Amino acid sequence: MFKRIYDNLSSLSLGLWLLCGVMLFLAAGSFLQGEGSIINEVALYDWIREVPLRESWWLWGAIALIALLALNTLLCSIESLRNKWDKGSFLVRIAPQLMHLGFLFIVIAHLQSAYGGFKQSMQVENGSSIKFPDGTDIVFTGFDATYGKMGMATAYSATLECRTGGKALTAVISPNHPFFYKGHGVYIKDIAPPPMKAALVEVHREPGAMMALTGGAVFTIANIILLARRREKTA
Amino acid sequence: MKWILCLSIGFYLFGGFSRPLFLIGAAIELSYMAMRGTELGRLPLLGPHDTLAFFSTSCALMAIPFLFNKALSSSRRFSVGVSLLAAITGLMALPFPSFNMPMPPILNTLWFELHVALAFFSYALFGIGAILGIMFLLDENRQFLEVQHSAALVGFSFFSASMTSGGIWGYYAWGTYWLWTAKEFWTSILWLYYGTYLHLRLKGSRWERAIAWGGIIGFGVTMFTYLGVSLLMKSSHSF
Repeated sequence: MFKRIYDNLSSLSLGLWLLCGVMLFLAAGSFLQGEGSIINEVALYDWIREVPLRESWWLWGAIALIALLALNTLLCSIESLRNKWDKGSFLVRIAPQLMHLGFLFIVIAHLQSAYGGFKQSMQVENGSSIKFPDGTDIVFTGFDATYGKMGMATAYSATLECRTGGKALTAVISPNHPFFYKGHGVYIKDIAPPPMKAALVEVHREPGAMMALTGGAVFTIANIILLARRREKTA
Repeated sequence: MKWILCLSIGFYLFGGFSRPLFLIGAAIELSYMAMRGTELGRLPLLGPHDTLAFFSTSCALMAIPFLFNKALSSSRRFSVGVSLLAAITGLMALPFPSFNMPMPPILNTLWFELHVALAFFSYALFGIGAILGIMFLLDENRQFLEVQHSAALVGFSFFSASMTSGGIWGYYAWGTYWLWTAKEFWTSILWLYYGTYLHLRLKGSRWERAIAWGGIIGFGVTMFTYLGVSLLMKSSHSF
């Protein structure tokens, strides 16, 4: 009986059905998440606990299927390596499994971010500060913006001072250039038009970021290896 | 300057019957994109006009290696198919105005340009895969299915790299590598869809027609992800 369960759990057919199921749940989610949804405002773990099931059922469904898919991917990779260990080139054998590993890393990354993620928006002015639990103060000391012909801000930045343990570190944040402190990022999102000296900033913690990057990199590199080997084979 | 784009579309329409004309059309459209890029001082990747023109150019450029593939070099159907794909997407760009606005600061990064350009290369390859799927259903020539698989695999690689670069951009721009918006939902669906499609091949020769259909439907999912989501649903990626 255990063998039958194992064979089913490691089968390609199950993997394909699970992938179809995840796609359907995500498609449902895309239509159900309207403008009023706060799903991007809080950590996913908090969102799924707070909203009623009629709003979050698609996510529960997707999570359940992704959990099964992760198990199926793992078992399928083990089976594939066992069956083909002494056949063909090592790179051709290992590349698809590395892609599977990349996928699993991405799933783990989402779990990490869903559980430990944090986000807070605030308006800051000259002299405003953000206090971290370890006593560190991030104080905003200046704002700068350049405006284009149409009156649109083409560049803007804020200068901040990170005061920690008697030392002060100065940094400038601008779009795509946040300031990182102990796993938190301080991002400038918008700047008030002159003469106001204020900006909208966000503090984020994304614990799964490194894992997601690793997963994405492993997946892409393995994909390139697979392509290169396939090209050699067909040449 | 739109007349240059019109000229390239004209060459594409005749390019189905003569490969050199198709190549001239691609060179003209590439010049149009280069001129737009020079005018804007960045890659033309904002708004429906520029993205559709970029998509059309990507279709033409990605089709070139396939036009010289042994299995397709003598196929009129394939050259007509890719010419129409490049021409139709180019035509779709024409009614939209070309915005000359400066790049918003949040988009002013190499990660964004890489993310979008790679996505369009993959969309173009999925389009080519759909043409090959139709050709297989009409001729039952297994070589078409082989080439369809290659197009989808390369497209999937570009798409995965696009998602990774998009995640890096998102992390530096928004503070997160992932947002639950309609575009991200459909991007994931497209990625999972082509993951499923590539695995279908392992099911054996009985699934050949399903694979061919898979490539055709995949392009439908691609177009919904690109145009449907941008025009019909609210998303941070909307035009």
